[in-house]
This record gives sequence, structure tokens and C-alpha cells, in this order.
Amino acid sequence: MNLFAGVGGGAADGGGTGTALLELTPHKMAVCHLVQVFAPAAQAGGDVVPPFPFESLTHHNRLGLFLFTLTRSCDDFLEPPLEEFLKQLRAVDDLTNGWFCEQLTSALSALNSPDDLFNFFDKLRGVFTAPEGASAEDVFLDPNSQLGVFLRCCILAFNSMTFEGVCHLLADLVMYCNSADASYDLAEHEDFNSEMGNLMDADIGSHAGIFDKFHQGYASEHHMGESSSTLTRASMSPYDFDNANTFKADDNPTCLRSRWQLEAYLNQQADILEKDPGSVPLNLFNATMTQLQTLAPELHRVQFLQYLNALYHDDYVASLDNLHRYFDYSAGMQGLFGRSLSQVQDIVVGKYESALLCLGNLHCYFGHPKKALEAFAEAVRVSQMNNDDSCLAYVLGAISNLLSKIGISNTVGIISSPYSLGTNIGLGTPLSIQQQLLVLLKRSLKRADALKLPSLLSFDHLSLAKFDLKHVQRPLVSFGPNASTKLRTCPADVCKNLRLGSRVLTDFGADVLSTSNDNGSFSTSWLRNLSATSDSWRSSSKNTKKIHINDFDNFHYHAQPSPVPASILQLAGSAYLLRATAWEHYGSAPMVRMNVLVYATCFADAASSSELSLAYVKLIQQLAVFKGYSAAFCALKLAEKKFPSSTSLHIQLLGMQILHERALHRGHLKVAQQICDEFGVLSSSVSGVDIELKTEFSVRRARTLLAAKQFSQAAAVANSLFSTCYKYNMQVENASVLLLLAEIHKKSDNAVLGLPYALASQSFCKSFNLDLLEASATLTLAELWLDLGSSHAKKALSLVYQSLPMILGHGGLELRARAHVVLAKCHLSDLKFSVLEDPEAVLDPLNQATEDLQALEYHEMAAEAYYLKAMAYNHLGKLDEREEAAARFKDHVTALETPHNEEDSLKY
Amino acid sequence: MASAKESYRAELRASSRQLSERCLYSAAKWAAELLVGVELDAAPVPSAAMDSPSSSSAASAGRLLHLHRSGGSSFRHRPRPGGGSSSEAGTPLGGVSYVSTPIPDDDAFDSGGDKYLLAKTYFDCREYRRAAHVLQNQVGRKAVFLRCYALYMAGEKRKEAEMIELEGSLGKSNAVNQELVALEKELSTHRRTGSIDSFGLYLYGIVLRDKGCEGLARTILVESVNTYPWNWSAWSELQSLCTSSDILNNLNLKNHWMKDFFLASAYLELKMHEEALKRYERLMGVFRCSGYIQAQIATVQYSMRDLDEAEMIFEELLRTDPFRVDSMDIYSNLLYAKESLTALSFLAHRVFLTDKYRPESCCIIANYYSLKGQHEKSVLYFQRALKLNRKYLSAWTLMGHEYVELKNSPAAIDAYRRAVDINPRDFRALYGLGQIYEMMGMPFYALYYFRKSSYLQPNDARLWIAMAQCYESDPLQMIEEAIKCYERAANSNDTEGIALHQLAKLHGMLGQSEEAAFYYKKDLERMEVEERQGQNFVEALLFLAKHYKSIGRFEDAEHYCTRLLDYTGPEKETAKNMLQGIKRLQSGFPSMDIDHFAL
Repeated sequence: MNLFAGVGGGAADGGGTGTALLELTPHKMAVCHLVQVFAPAAQAGGDVVPPFPFESLTHHNRLGLFLFTLTRSCDDFLEPPLEEFLKQLRAVDDLTNGWFCEQLTSALSALNSPDDLFNFFDKLRGVFTAPEGASAEDVFLDPNSQLGVFLRCCILAFNSMTFEGVCHLLADLVMYCNSADASYDLAEHEDFNSEMGNLMDADIGSHAGIFDKFHQGYASEHHMGESSSTLTRASMSPYDFDNANTFKADDNPTCLRSRWQLEAYLNQQADILEKDPGSVPLNLFNATMTQLQTLAPELHRVQFLQYLNALYHDDYVASLDNLHRYFDYSAGMQGLFGRSLSQVQDIVVGKYESALLCLGNLHCYFGHPKKALEAFAEAVRVSQMNNDDSCLAYVLGAISNLLSKIGISNTVGIISSPYSLGTNIGLGTPLSIQQQLLVLLKRSLKRADALKLPSLLSFDHLSLAKFDLKHVQRPLVSFGPNASTKLRTCPADVCKNLRLGSRVLTDFGADVLSTSNDNGSFSTSWLRNLSATSDSWRSSSKNTKKIHINDFDNFHYHAQPSPVPASILQLAGSAYLLRATAWEHYGSAPMVRMNVLVYATCFADAASSSELSLAYVKLIQQLAVFKGYSAAFCALKLAEKKFPSSTSLHIQLLGMQILHERALHRGHLKVAQQICDEFGVLSSSVSGVDIELKTEFSVRRARTLLAAKQFSQAAAVANSLFSTCYKYNMQVENASVLLLLAEIHKKSDNAVLGLPYALASQSFCKSFNLDLLEASATLTLAELWLDLGSSHAKKALSLVYQSLPMILGHGGLELRARAHVVLAKCHLSDLKFSVLEDPEAVLDPLNQATEDLQALEYHEMAAEAYYLKAMAYNHLGKLDEREEAAARFKDHVTALETPHNEEDSLKY
Repeated sequence: MASAKESYRAELRASSRQLSERCLYSAAKWAAELLVGVELDAAPVPSAAMDSPSSSSAASAGRLLHLHRSGGSSFRHRPRPGGGSSSEAGTPLGGVSYVSTPIPDDDAFDSGGDKYLLAKTYFDCREYRRAAHVLQNQVGRKAVFLRCYALYMAGEKRKEAEMIELEGSLGKSNAVNQELVALEKELSTHRRTGSIDSFGLYLYGIVLRDKGCEGLARTILVESVNTYPWNWSAWSELQSLCTSSDILNNLNLKNHWMKDFFLASAYLELKMHEEALKRYERLMGVFRCSGYIQAQIATVQYSMRDLDEAEMIFEELLRTDPFRVDSMDIYSNLLYAKESLTALSFLAHRVFLTDKYRPESCCIIANYYSLKGQHEKSVLYFQRALKLNRKYLSAWTLMGHEYVELKNSPAAIDAYRRAVDINPRDFRALYGLGQIYEMMGMPFYALYYFRKSSYLQPNDARLWIAMAQCYESDPLQMIEEAIKCYERAANSNDTEGIALHQLAKLHGMLGQSEEAAFYYKKDLERMEVEERQGQNFVEALLFLAKHYKSIGRFEDAEHYCTRLLDYTGPEKETAKNMLQGIKRLQSGFPSMDIDHFAL
């Protein structure tokens, strides 16, 4: 989950800044010619009819839209060759039988001397001036429109061009018109291909994988009811890294697009890198960036893209080199963009402290928390020295992210001088780590609010929600007996911060959408649809020669891209994921499912593959808990196809979790132990790292030992785990481990020892508002009281009734089955209760329990349930039902005691 | 011995002529300089040369006379050390057997001699396209080479013009030689059919290098130098493509004596100074009068910080070759380092009069202005040098130094970064980057650059000291790492003596008195040897006195206190008090008496 994502921006609108961002090229001249056809000099006294050769206003407007998109599309940094341009134009020009193409080709070929160029641009100026005697209602091009500004920039560029430039332009025009010439065979190709053979094979495989993943993902998305916008986005990757682009520079004139389009292209590439680094081959991306850098040496953002590329492909040395090179060249003055920091209306974070911020994030990414903290501390100091409040706010947020991400153990020794981080509040005593984290978050929140940095504001709110979810609020300054002694988490604070975090969407909409800031995705999408339309039209041209295709039909092929930038959508989506996590803690399963589904449906396009896989994991976990293992494994197979295992650790862990649960329930203890060992292998051997994974490993090991009835060893493992969780202040895990200890003592017939653990767990759950876990603890308490003797049956029954609403409303199959079994046991243990008088009070819960346990393949509890049913039927005198229940009991006991086909438990 | 030298002369004489005929003037110049540099025989007799059967024509005889006269002049102006043993000193490289490569016959008059002559004349007048056009239908290897070379030069000329024209808003797009595509096509065809000679291979190699195909370019250039070893331009291009010793060791080169020049130059470039110096000194045995070898030896010694030795060689070079500009930029750097303002001003004036618009000249003048403290003018001349040669590495680095003096940090960082991008092994530019970031209060960020520069130049104590100072700066306070760096500096010829003192201080800060005393003592010994006195000396004496008193070694403590009495200042009183205390501690009886009186 990348919560530290900024808004893409910083690319100035090229239309209004003169010739500095536009250089005249043959492609731009072709566009100018078409603009002239689109808006010819008005005829005096004419009617309001489209000029020749347009047949209708729709036809006329389609050409206008095509011209608009040409000036804004940013799917490549090189201008298209004439052949491709004519192909696109033919798709628009389906009514005049190629008149546009012929006229364009002849017009460009006629430019043979500098005087021809001068005449060409003189005619262009006529587009803006109305002829004498024309009335005010005559149609001519608005100079301030997008096309008007483009045309004026081209005219201005030509006026300021030197004679050498004119000669160059003529030579480029000749090459542009002859760009279809066949290229020769080079001896160089043989050596080049042999040297790059392995790389090419790997890349071809990668491309094939992209297409395979794309098709399967598309089917999977349809199955999951998601939108198909990924089709448009995923298809960009193979095109962007087509190997032919590497050799284009030799054949065609190397004409760059406008600066605005270049920067939009770089932002787009940054989006692709962050969303799914696996779809971008490392070396091909570098080759493309190197080519762009050769053509535009002063466009230093290319180096930043190379840094991102190396970062997301885990190339530490290249990341460091490119990061330092970028900031050495640009001095941080070109600002940061893409996924890093800047926003459209933010103060551009400049100067060298940004380098330290990026360096800290780099070390954070590669797992060097000590170095990251050193870099952040230096960034804080330099930001304060240079009065860079924006950078300071971001650094504080980054430090908070670092502290919350790497866990607590490592930071004890890292922050040797907390005063350097500005977290000293004047008490003279160093604050604890949690308090430092809270101070940093609140300070960053205040700065982001004052400086109006919506992305950072949203990130800070989400981080505060995460903090409040797991930590008890304490006053920072505790004086005297009046200090509050109530130690509980505040769900209201969590919900408030989550709502404020997702409000970034409305803030963005209110501020930015009103300025109609186009990031080029609309134009890019329109042109891509045009290519699809062209192919479709060509294949069916014989059958539908004269069918008129409406403009809006083009958009039916693919969904339109959202006007909101991906970084904003990603932050808003993260808020929903965090909501799902919060409701997991608070024990509301429908709310978990709802939030995850909203995330997977509405934010999947902008999400990174890591976060999207996390959403799938949550949904599959819900399936496993509420629908059983078959449904969960079906969904898991779909998820594994969508997320290759090399890029998703979440999916891999989820598979192991479900397999372990099923093996425990089936009584396949060897398989369960094997899966436990795999958990242990996955975690790092370094102390304090991967603490969540190690915790899960220990929990599963204790449960395996418990199932094998090795109670002493299970208790030892659980006690050791509790010490670890207590040491690292993992409160939620503390409650779970205490409950596990109670279970161990209950199973070993030590109810008296189990009671304190269950009560302690219940107390933890109350403090942290873990309602579902509290219900589970209450149920365990009831079982413990029941084990103490039938005189406590009433007390146990009242406890069960107390927990039933939560369990039946939000609990999983296993928890509900347990509740039903305990309820039946309470009734049967009650000396005053008679089965004869109210048999349904016992049989109904037992029937419900056996249904649930069937889906879970839980032999042990199913055997217990059937045993109780047999006893009940024995009391009722129904011998046939009794014998049937006894037979089922025997089946389950046999399956539990003599496991066979253990290998099946390792397969889905 | 005489036959070996004579064969060297014959080879160089023929190659210089052949290279000139093909308009490869830099290589021809290099060969001619080396020819004059071959050591003369013990008894030169001009009349004997005139009577030799090889000089059958008047023109040849005249050329030989000219060469002998020039050689004799060099001999008379350069008395050798130990002149009496000239025969022994002139022994060639013993024990080395070189591969003998036959000198190829020239086919000048077999393929359009008159047209070739006209084309060469056009080439000399820089009318490259006319030269190529004249040879359009010639099929001889010599004519094919000259036509392709003329086209290449025409493309280069056009490229330089376009570099000015094509400057856009996104920076100067690197203009390319438009002839590369056609040349590669033709030369690759010739190579496949086997109708290419070594000169054509050389041209093919530089075409491939310009296109970025470095691996194939190396292969082609190795073929070229293996078949014609006397083209120093081919060796130079091959060296520029060897960016690491692994690449250098993997070259499949024949063992010609020209290979020694190549290896020595490559070692110098790769900072393998000892190997380079060894090879150049062996080459001096045969080419004793070569200015090139002497300049290279001086450059090696300058790189090894032997400034005095290098200066003597450069001065001798200027005496014998007063209008030389090659390598004089290294000499100006040396004079700058020694702060020889007068010599630097003379050198700047001389190169200005000789050749004003060479990058080396601009660099020398810039160094002069820098030493005078006029950094704006210095930057101006460095920029002019970089206009003339964009890849002039030392100009970028030195301009970075000037921007540091002008307190223009972004410009300095940009200049250093361009130097690093040209040569990633330039530790000076990396060191400069580290220094700037440290000055801007970013020591953790600066460590990255210091680490890289130390890795590239591990024997330079200054780099380790800079890294150590970053570690011990207030924001970082990483004392252990600083100690490690200072230890490396102390083992790497720390001439200023910073490392030992800092090691002692830092160990003292960590409370490690034994180590601190050890280093203070070493520092004292070093300062005594160098006869350097100062605050550090007094500080060391005081610490050692206190330390030995605290551990009970009173004789040592008394020794250092006595030495402290020789200095003025508060330490003298401290030493007196300590001496009295030591005396009281040493005799227990008076102490008891004093205690008794107190009671």
C-alpha cells in the first residue's frame, strides 16, 4: 500500500507559453494544413453551412476533434510518421474517399524551397483574419481556442526561425514524405542481435506474459463484475516498449512532441511504473528513456523516470545513481512530479532537500530504515534552513510512514537524538515511539492543512486512522489526578479520519476540475479508439461501404478514462481499503465486504497491483470464513491467474493460510506442520523484521501443536509469542494470543488456569473495540465455566446469550458452529432442563452447527456435535435418529484418528 | 641493438609517410615525433648516411640529411646522465621478443594517382565533398579509404555546424554525423567481401563508435591495429573504448612494440600509475629523445602527486620544444598546484601567441586567472574551452572548482555532474560534488559521493578525510565510521597529518584512552620528524601526560610534563601543577604528613 502518493502535475500547459515549448516539425506543419482545411477563410455573405468538402456539421466537428487530440495526445514522445498519420486521417475521412489524404500529401510535397514555406505560413495567417466586407457573423477560427493557440505558436516559431532552421525544416519535410523507404540490412544488426539475444528472449516472454495476463485478467474482471478500463491501460504497455522504436531514430527524422506532451508522457510512464512494475521491462524502459534523453538533453525529468524504473525493479545501485544524477542536473528546480510529491496547485517542492526526501524514500523502499531516518533527519534540517515548508510537511509524513511501516523494534536504537526530529515538546524527557509517531503525524497534518496540500492531508488522515485503530489515546501531558484514566481506542476518531482521508476526491473536484485541466488521457484514448475503429472499418468495409459512423460510437469500444488523476484515485481507494481493515477489527463482516467491493469496483484502475491483490485477499478471506473452503479455493485460483505469484506475496500467503486451516480441520497434522514450516521460512531471520509474518507463524504453530494434543509445547509457544507481542506493543495480537492460551488450557482440562487468560483477552478486546474477538472470548469463557461443573451452567448460558447477537450477525461458520454447540451443551448440562419438554432448544442449534461444520470439514467439532445429537435423541427415545447420529459421529472420529490422503490437503 | 633501432626508424619513417598520404595527420605527426625520438647511435656520421646504398636519389638524401641534422641538434642540447656509458644505457628492451609486422607496399600509382593527388589537395583545403566526388569511381583501397574518410569529415563538419543551429528549448539535441549510415553500409560491405584494408577498418571502427556500437567497434579497431600497428589514432580510439581493466585484458592484440605505448597510455588513463610509469621508463630506453614519452612520464608523476619531478620534466620539454601545446594543460595544473604564478603567466602568454583557439590554451589561461583570483574570467575561458571541445573532462572539473569559489552551487554541481557523466571514474568531480553538498549542510547526502570517489582512488588520504569529516559532523555523529575513515587516511600517505590527530581525539571522545594515547604518540613522532610545532603538539603532550598520570606511569607522565614546560600558555601552569602532584604521589611519607596536619 503506497499511501505516500502525490498528484501528478507540474507540466505547464504548452498552449499559452509561446514558442519556448514548441518547435516546428513536419508533423506540426501537416496539422497546420488540416487546420486550414478545417477553418478556411470565410466567404462573404455565405450561409452557416460547413465549408467544402464537409457534408455535415458532424463531419466537420469530427475533424476538429481529431485535430484537437493531435495536439494533446501523449502516448509517445516522438511524433508519428506520415504513414501512421495518414492512416488515422483516413479513418476520419471515410466520407470523402481519401480527399484529405491526397490533398495533404500533395501540399507537403509541393514545399520545395524556402519561399514555399513562407507562402505556406502566409496563408496560415489568413485563417485568423476576416476578409474585408465580411459581416460579424462569419465563421473563422478563434485565436484563443486550443487550435488557435497551436496555430499561432507554429506561426511564431516560423517567424523566429533562422535561415538554417528553414533549410533544416525542408530537409526534414523530404524525409517525412519519404519515410516509407525500406531500410537496409546492417551488419551491425547481427552483432547487436546476438548480444541482446537473451534480453530479447526474456522481453518477448514478458510481452507474451503481458498479453496472457491481459486476456485472463479481462475474463477475471468480467467475472468479478469490474469495469474493463484496464483494457485500454494494459494495452499501452506493449506498444510503449515496442522494440521497433529503438531503430526508428535511424530511419525517420527525430521530431519531438511539444514540451507539454513530453511531460504528460513522462507522467504517464510514472503511472505505469507505479501501478504494475512487472509489466514494464527494466532494460527496455531504460532504452526508451535513453533515446528520449538523447533527443532532449535538458529534459532532466527523464533521469527521474529512470530512477523510478530502477527503484521499482529493485536495482539499488542504479536507483542511487539516477537519483543523484537527476538532482545534480536539475538542482531540484524542475520540481517533482508523477507519484512522488507535487500537485497541480501545490507549491513546487524544489531545491536539494527534495533529494534527501527521495533518498529517504529509496532507503525505506529497500529496507534500510537506519539510512532512511538519517536522510529524513537531514531533510528536516535543510528544509528548516531553507524555509521550505512544503518539503518539511512531506518529510514529516514520510518519517511517520517509516515509523509505522518498519515496526517499533528497530526504531528504539535508531532515534538516538529525538530532538533533531523536532519531536521534543519541552518536557525534557524523550517521548515513546508511539508518541513521537503521533506528534509527527499531527504536525504534518497541520502543515499540510496550512499549505493546502490535499494529497499529503489525505495521507496524514489515513495514517492517523491507522494509528488510532491500534493505539490507545493517551494525553501527551499527564499532570495530577485529574488526568483521564480511561484507556480505550476511539472508533469515532478512526471513522472521522477515514472520511476526511477520502474527502480528497471532492477537494480535487472542487479545485481542479473547474479549471478543466486535461492531462492528455482523453486525447490519447480518442486516438487509440480511432485506430480500433479504423481496423474495424477496414475489415467490414466491403459490407458497410456507406454506413455513416457517428462520433459517439467510438466510445462504445472502451470505457473512457477518468478525468481525475490516478494518484488522487489511489489515495481515495486506500481510504476504502483502510475502512475494510478497520471494520475487520471492529467485527462487522458486511461492512468489510462492502468497502472492499467498492474499492475493487471503483478504484481498480488506479490501484497498484499490490493494493489490488490485498483487496482480493480480503474478499477471499471472507469467502473462506462464510462460505467454506471450496468457494475460497475457486476464487483463489482466479486471483492467482490475475496476479502472478512473482509479484504478489499476499496471494501466496493467503493460499497457505487457507490450506493450513483446512489441514487442521481435516486432522492432517503433518501437512499442517509442513505449511507452518513454510511460514517460518518466508520470514526474515533478522530480529524485529517481518514481525507480522513471524507472529502468524507462531500462532499457527501453537494451533498445530494444540491439535496434536501437545498442550505443554503449545502453551510454551503461545507464552513466548505473548512476550514478543507485548514487547512490540502489538495490542490486537495480544488479545488473540491470550485467547489462544485460554483455549490451550481448556483443551488440556485446566479450566481454572484458562479463566484468567480469557478474562484478560476480553478486557483487551473492550479497550480496543474488537467486538468480534470479544464475542469469541466470551464464548470461550462460557465453555470454561461449563467445564467447572454443571452448577455453572446458568452462568455459561447467560454468557452465550450475551455473545450470540454479534456471532450470528458477523461471525464466520466456525464461530457460529461453536456458539451453537456450546448453547446445546449448556442446555444439556442444566439439571433443571429437560430435553423432553423442549427438544428444539437443543436440536435446532445442533442441526445448524452440523451444516456449518460440513462446509468447513471440521471433523473434531462435527464429531462433538453428532455426539450431542445422539445423546439428545437417546433422551427423546428416537432410536433410529440416534443410530444415524452415532454413525456420523463414528465417521468423523475415524476420519480424525486415521488420516488418509494427506497429500490432497496440499492441493486446491 | 643497432638493427632494432634501425628497424624502428624504418617502420616509423614509412608509416609517417603513408599516414600523411592518407590525410591522417595526427597519427603521422605522432609517428614523426617518435621517429625523431629514437635514440641516436654512438657515433653519428652524416657522410656515412649519404654514402649508404639506400639513398639512391637526391630527394631521399636530402630528407635523411635533414633528419640527422635535427637529431644531432637534439643530442647536443640534451646531455644524458652518465654520458660515458652511453652504449650500456642504450640497450633495448631486453628479453622481449616482438612480432615483426611487414610494412605494406603503397599502391599510390596503381589507382588513379593523379585523381588521388587532386582529391588529397581538396582534402587539405577542407573541401571534403569535392575530394569525395573526385574519387567517386575509384576502386583502389587507398582511394576508397580517402573517399570514405572525406565523407566522414564532411559529416563531422556539418555536425559541428548543426550543433549551433539545432539548439532548442530542451537543450542541444546531439547532432549526428549524417554520413554515418551510408558509411557503415559501405564499409560493412567491404569487410564482408574482404576488400578493406587496415585504414578502412580504422574508419569503420570510428563510425561504429559514433553510432554507439562499442563492442563491435573494439573488435574492428583491434583488427586494424593488428594489421597496421603504426596508426596511433587507431590505438587512441581503441583506448577510449577500454573503460575498465577487464576490457583491456580481454583484447586480442599482437605483441608489437607499439602495443607498449598503448598499454602504458591505457594504464595511465585507468589510474594504474605504477604500471604505466614502468612501461614508459622501459620505452625511454629506445626512444630517449621522445617528447611524447617524457610528457607522459610527467603526467604520470603529476597524477602520483610527484610535482617536483613532473615540473622538471615539463621545463625540459619546453626548453627543447618551446611552441608545444600538447600536455601543457597538465603543466598548467601543476603550476597552479604549486602556486607558481610567474611561470604560469609565462606559459599562458606563450600558448596564447602560439595557438589561441585550442582547448588546452583556454584551459591554461583559465588556470592563470584562477590563480590570480579572478574567477569570473576563469569561468569564461573554461567555457570557451568547452565550446571548442565538449568532452574536455578536466575543463568541466576545473570549472566546477571556479563556481565553488564564486559560491554558485547549482552551477558547480552541474559542471561536476557533467564531468562525472563523461568519465564515471573521475574521482575529482565526485569529490567536488561531495564537498559542495557538505557545504550546503547535507553531510549524509555528501557521503554518497565521497564513498564513490574513495572507491575510485583508495590511496588518496584527502578523500578519506573528507568522508570522515562528514561522519563526525554534528548531524550525523557517527564516530565509529569516522574512525575507520581516518585509519584509512593514516595508511594512505596523509601528508597534512590530519588523520592521526583526529584519530586520537575521537578515541578520546569515546573514552578509549589507550587507543587515544597510541595515536597521540604517533602524532608526536610524526610532528617531531617533520619539525612541525603547534597547538596539536601541545594538545598531544597534555593528553599523554594526563593519561600516564591516571594509569600510574609516573615517569612517562613526568617526561611529558617536562616537555610541556618549554611552551608558553596555560598548559605550562597545568604541567607545573601536575608535576607537583606526581611528586607527592610518588613519595608516600610526605603525603601522610600533610594529611596529618590537615587533621
